[in-house]
Amino acid sequence: MTEAVQLSLGSGWLAAVDAARSVIAGPSWAGWILWLPLISLVLCGVCAALKIHTKLPAWITVGSLAISFVVIVALYMSYRQPMEIPLLDWFNLNWRSNDGQAGSFVAGFAFYVDKLTLLWMLFVTGLGTLIALYASEYMEPDVKRGYARFFAGISVFLFAMSCLVLADNLVMLYLGWEGVGFASYWLIGYYYTRPSAVAAAKKAFIVNRIGDLGLALGIWLIYYNFGTVEYANAQGTGLFQILASGSYKHEAGGWSIQAIPFLLMLGAFGKSAQIPLYVWLPDAMEGPTPVSALIHAATMVTAGVYLLARMLPVMELHPAALPTVAWIGGLTALLAATIGMAQYDIKRIWAYSTVSQLGFMFVGVGVLTTYGAAFHVFTHAFFKAVLFLTGGAVMHGFAGQLDIRKISGLRHMPGWQITAWTMLVGCLCLAGFPLSSGFFSKDEILAQVFAVHRPWLGFMLLFTALLTAYYTFRVWFRVCAGPVSYEMGEEHHGHGDDHHHGKADTGHKAPPRHAPPAHVAHQPHPPRFAINFVLVVITVGAIISTFSGSWVMDKVSHSSAAVLHAADSHEHHPGWVPWLAGTIAVAGIVVAWHFHLASRKSADALRARLLANPLTRWLPTAMENKWYVDEFYEWMIVTPLWIFAHALYLFDRYVIDLLFVDGVARLPKWMGRSFQPLQNGVLQSYAVLMAGGVGLAILLVVVLMPHLRPWLIGFFGGGG
Amino acid sequence: MTAALLLIVPLLGAAALVVAPARHAKWIALVASTIAFVLSIIMAVRFGPLWTSREFNQIGWVGLIDAFGIRLSLGADSVSMLLVLLTTMLMPLCIWGSFSSITQRLREYYGWMLVIETAMVGVFIARDLIFFYICFELTLVPMFFLIAIYGAENRARAAYKFFIYTFTGSLIALAGLLYIAWQYAKSRGYHWSFDIETLTTFATDMSATEQAWILLALLAGFAVKVPLFPLHTWLPLAHTEAPTAGSVVLAAVLLKLGTYGLYRFVIPMIPLAVVEYAPVIAVLAIIGILYAALICWVQNDMKKLVAYSSVSHLGFCVLGLFALNPLGVQGSVLYMLNHGLSTGALFFLVGMVYERYHTRDMDQMGGLCNRMPVWAFFMVFFVLSSVGLPGLNGFVGEFLCLIGAFTASADNASYPGVLGPWYAAVASVGMIFAAMYLLIMTGKVVWGPLKEPGGHGHAGASRAHGSTLPADLTLREIGVLTPLAILCIYIGVQPSPITTVLGPPIDRILGNYPETVERLAQPDLRPEHDVIQVSGIEQGEPAVSGHQHYSGGADG
Repeated sequence: MTEAVQLSLGSGWLAAVDAARSVIAGPSWAGWILWLPLISLVLCGVCAALKIHTKLPAWITVGSLAISFVVIVALYMSYRQPMEIPLLDWFNLNWRSNDGQAGSFVAGFAFYVDKLTLLWMLFVTGLGTLIALYASEYMEPDVKRGYARFFAGISVFLFAMSCLVLADNLVMLYLGWEGVGFASYWLIGYYYTRPSAVAAAKKAFIVNRIGDLGLALGIWLIYYNFGTVEYANAQGTGLFQILASGSYKHEAGGWSIQAIPFLLMLGAFGKSAQIPLYVWLPDAMEGPTPVSALIHAATMVTAGVYLLARMLPVMELHPAALPTVAWIGGLTALLAATIGMAQYDIKRIWAYSTVSQLGFMFVGVGVLTTYGAAFHVFTHAFFKAVLFLTGGAVMHGFAGQLDIRKISGLRHMPGWQITAWTMLVGCLCLAGFPLSSGFFSKDEILAQVFAVHRPWLGFMLLFTALLTAYYTFRVWFRVCAGPVSYEMGEEHHGHGDDHHHGKADTGHKAPPRHAPPAHVAHQPHPPRFAINFVLVVITVGAIISTFSGSWVMDKVSHSSAAVLHAADSHEHHPGWVPWLAGTIAVAGIVVAWHFHLASRKSADALRARLLANPLTRWLPTAMENKWYVDEFYEWMIVTPLWIFAHALYLFDRYVIDLLFVDGVARLPKWMGRSFQPLQNGVLQSYAVLMAGGVGLAILLVVVLMPHLRPWLIGFFGGGG
Repeated sequence: MTAALLLIVPLLGAAALVVAPARHAKWIALVASTIAFVLSIIMAVRFGPLWTSREFNQIGWVGLIDAFGIRLSLGADSVSMLLVLLTTMLMPLCIWGSFSSITQRLREYYGWMLVIETAMVGVFIARDLIFFYICFELTLVPMFFLIAIYGAENRARAAYKFFIYTFTGSLIALAGLLYIAWQYAKSRGYHWSFDIETLTTFATDMSATEQAWILLALLAGFAVKVPLFPLHTWLPLAHTEAPTAGSVVLAAVLLKLGTYGLYRFVIPMIPLAVVEYAPVIAVLAIIGILYAALICWVQNDMKKLVAYSSVSHLGFCVLGLFALNPLGVQGSVLYMLNHGLSTGALFFLVGMVYERYHTRDMDQMGGLCNRMPVWAFFMVFFVLSSVGLPGLNGFVGEFLCLIGAFTASADNASYPGVLGPWYAAVASVGMIFAAMYLLIMTGKVVWGPLKEPGGHGHAGASRAHGSTLPADLTLREIGVLTPLAILCIYIGVQPSPITTVLGPPIDRILGNYPETVERLAQPDLRPEHDVIQVSGIEQGEPAVSGHQHYSGGADG
C-alpha cells in the first residue's frame, strides 16, 4: 500500500464528520421524486389493463420523469447543507430485554441529501426523461402490444434508482439496489418471446443477486458492529458519525469489521459488472436499446461506483480494500477492452466498452480520486448514452441490423447526418480524444494512479485506453464512413423485436399489429424528430460535461465521498500523463482508420494471418469468444451445481424418503411378518410354543422379580 | 364470545352441508367462511388495547368440560391473532377458488374445508393444552380426506403418508406435553392443570435433562409439521397430490401450526434445552434451506417445485425463531404470514394452470403469458414476492430472520444469542438459490414462445376436455388473487404496524433468554445436568396477571 493511500486513511472520516454534524430537516415535497415514477407506474399499468393502444403511456412517463427532474433541480437550488427527509416508516423495531437493555432496528423510507446525491439524481432523472422521450418514438412499433409494459418498466427503474441514490440508510439503498435489478430483469426480458432475451434477463437477475448477497452481508455486518444502518442523522448516531468519532472498537470487531469493505465491494462488482460478475451486462443487450442506454450504460451500472463513493469511510476499514478495488477495476477495464475490440455487434461493443469504462471508474475510487470517478461517471453517462442511442437509431432504421460489417457510409445517406455526427462526438469522448470530455475525466483517474505510484496499473490503463480508442473508431469508420452500402436486418418490424415466433404460435387471426409501409423492410428509414432531438440534446450535454470538472469536484468534496488529502490535488499529478494519454488516443484512432477505413481488407488479412499461425491462433479466437469466461462459469459452477442438485433430489427420494421414512414405517409390518410363521395352524407347534411361553414366564417371575420389585413399587406407588 | 362463535360457525356450516343439496354446497361454505372472517375481524377490533399487551390474554371461555383441569379456554396474543386472521382470510378464498375445480362429492369437500378451518383457528387460540392438541390432530382428518378423495393420481399414498407421519410425530409431542402436565400435577398434589401459561411457568424451572427430552418430544411433533430437514419428505408428496385449495391450506396454514408450536411451547417452556440445542436446530434449518432450494432447481413439476420451496422457506422461519432475539422472532412470525400469502397464491396459480391443461409438467408448456397475460402478471408478482424482492412482503420477513440470526452471536453485548454471522451467511445463499429456481420456472412457463401441452398452437384446441374455463383468468380467479396481492404490497411497504404489535408478546416470550445464554456461556456456571436451574420467563415480572385473568374467567 502506498504512502498516499495510507495518509488518506482517516481523512475521509474527517469529511464525514463535517457532512454529518450539520444534518438538517429537508423539505417534504422532495418526496415527489419517488411518488412521480410510482404514479407513472400505476397509470401505465392501468393503460395496459384497459388496453389503451396509443402513445399515452410514453407521455405519462416522460411527463412524470420531467417533473421529477424539475423537483430535483428545485432541491438543488434550495440546497444549503446535508438534509434528512423522512417520508414513511418501514422497519421500525424496538425492544427491551428483561435486564433493561434496549435495542432497535430502524430503517425508514427517508432521504439523505448531500451534494453527491444531487449530482447523481440530476443526471439520472435528466437522462431518464430524455431517453424516455427517445423511446416514445423508438418503441412505436409496439404501441399495440408492449408499449405500456415498457414504460411501466422505465418508471419502476426510475423509482428504484431514486431510492438507491436518495436513501438515508443502507436497507433502503438495498431496496433500490434490488429494485433496479428487477427493473433490469423486466426490461431485458421485454421481448419475452425470444428465448435469448428471457435467458439474458434471468442471468442478469441471478448474477446481480450474487452481488446483492455481498451487499446484504455487508449491511448486516455494519448493523452487527455499529448498531445502525443510517448514514447520518440529527442525533449523531448515524454510521458516518460513529466512524468519524472513532467510538467503535476496531479490535473488538476484528474480522467482522474488516470484512465489511470487501462485501460491499462484491455488491458493487455485481451491479457495476466487474470481474468476476460482469458476464450479465453484455447479454443484457437483448433488451430494447433505450434500456441499454439508460440502465446498462448511463445510470444503473454506476450504482456500484455510487455505493463505494458513498461508503468511502467504510471502505477504509481495511487497508487492502481500496487497492483491491483499483486492481479489479483495472483488470476488468483491460479484459473488457480486449473482448470489445473483437466483436462485430455494435451494441455488444458498446456493452463491453461500458464494462471497461466502469473499470476505470473503480480504479478512480480505488486510488482515492472519488472526484475523478464521479467525473468519469458523469461524462460517461452522456457520451455512452449518445453511443447507444445512435446505435439504436441504426438498429431501428435498418430492421435490427447491428453488424458493423454490413453497414457502411452512414454519413452519406440522406437523413442520417445527425446520427453519424452525434456518434462521432460520442466516439471522440469515449476514445479520450484530446480536449473531449472523456479525455479530461479519464485523465483525472490516470494521473492519480501515477500520483499514488502505481505505475503498473497506470500503464495497463494506458494500454487499455489505446485499445478503447481503436475499437471505438473501428465502429465509427466501419459504420459511418466509407462507401455507402448496407444490408437490412432480418426483422420485419423495425428493431430487435422478433415477435414472429410468438405470432406464429399464438395463431392470432388479427392482421399485423402495425402495417408498416411496404418499403420499411427493404429500405432504411432515418430517425425522426424525437430521436434526433434527444440525440442532439444529449450530445450537447456530452460537450458541456467537458467543462463540468470543477462543478463535479464541488459536489464530491461536499459529501461523504470527499477525500481531504493533498494527493487528490493537481500539484501531485505528473504533467506528462495527459500528453501521453492524448497521444495514445490519437494513435488508436489512426490504427482504426488504417484498418477500418483506409484499407479494410488489411484488417481481414491480419486476422486471417493470425488464425493461420498455430502460435497466434488462440488470440483472435479467444477474444472473439470472450475469453471463454461464460463457458468457464458454465462448466466450473453451474454444471457441477446442477449435477449436485440432481444427486440431492435422488438422495431425497430414495435415501431419506424410501430408505428411512418408509423403512421405519415398514418396521411394524416386518415385525409382524417375522412372527407370521408361528401362526402355521399346526397344533403341535402351538403346544410347544405354549409350553415354552409358560416356562419363560415362570423363569421371569422367579429370577427377575426380586430385582424388579422395588422399582415397580416405586413407579406405581408414585402414581398412587 | 366472538372467539367461541368463530369456532362454531364453520362447524355449523359443515353441519348444514350434511343436509343441504349439493348444488348449494359451495355457496353455503362460502357464506359460512365469510361469516367466520367477519367474526375474526370483529374479534380483532375488540381485541383493542390487548394488541400491544405482552400476555397470552384470555379471550374466551367455554365452561363445557371442567374435569381433570381440562378447560375449553381460549387465549390470544398478537401472534395468534395475526395467524387467525391469516386463516380466516384465506379460507373463503380457498373455497371460492375451488368453485370450478371440484366437481364431485361437493358437500363432503366443502364440509371438510369448514371443519379444518375450525381446527386451525382452534390451534391458534387454544389456551388449554388438551384443547390445543385436539385441534392440532383434528386438522389431520379433513386434510386426509381432502387429499385422499380429491387429490391427483398418487393421492392414496400421499394421504396415508401425510397422516401417519404427522400423527406419529404429534403423539410424541403430546407425550412430552403430558409429561410437563404430569410433573406439574405431581408437584401440586395432583391438582391437574392444562393451562398453557401455568405449565409454561412451571416447565421453565425443570432440569436441563428433562428439558432436553421434552425438546426432543416436541420437535417430533412440530418439526415434522414445519417441516424441518430431514423430516420433510411427506410434504412434497402431500402438496403435489392435494387438490389446489388443499395445497394452499397446507402451505399457508398447516405448516404454521408447526412454527406456532415452536413459538408457543418450545421457546418459552424449555429455555435451557433451547439454548443448548438451538445451534443444532439452526443447522438443520440451514441445510433445509439450501438442500430444498437446490432440489427445487431441478424439478419439472411446477407444483413440486413450489412444494419444495416451502421446505426451503420454512427453514428461514425456523432459523429466525432460534435466533432467540426480537429481530429474528419477529421476522419469523412475519415470515409465517408472508409465506402463507405468497406460497398460497403460487399454489392457486399453479392450480389455475392445472385446471386448464391438466398437467404441471414445465417441459410441456411455455410462454403462457401469450395466452394468459393476467395469469402471467400475478405469477410474476407472487414469484417476486417469494424471491424476496424488497418492497414486497417476502423481503421483510426474510431480512429480519437473517439479520436476527446474524446478530445472535454470543459476544453481542446487548442481546446475546447462540447463533451468529456464519449461520446467517450460509443461510443467505438460499436467497440466490431462490432466485434461481423461481426464475427458471418463470422463464420456462411464463416467458418464451407459446407452447401449450399437447397442442400445436391452435387456439384453445389443446386445453383439457371438460374444462369450461376461458384461456385467461376469470373474474372469480382474479378476485381470489387480488386480496393476496394487496396484502403482499401492504406488508412489504408497511410492516411497522405489525412489528409494533408483535413486539410486546415476543419480548415476553424471549424473557430471560439473554441472561440464560450468558449464564450457559460461562463454563464455570454451566449447569452440570440437574444441578443449577435457570429462572424462567415469568420471574420478577408482573406477568402473573395472565394467570390471574385466567382464574377470574374460571370464576365467572
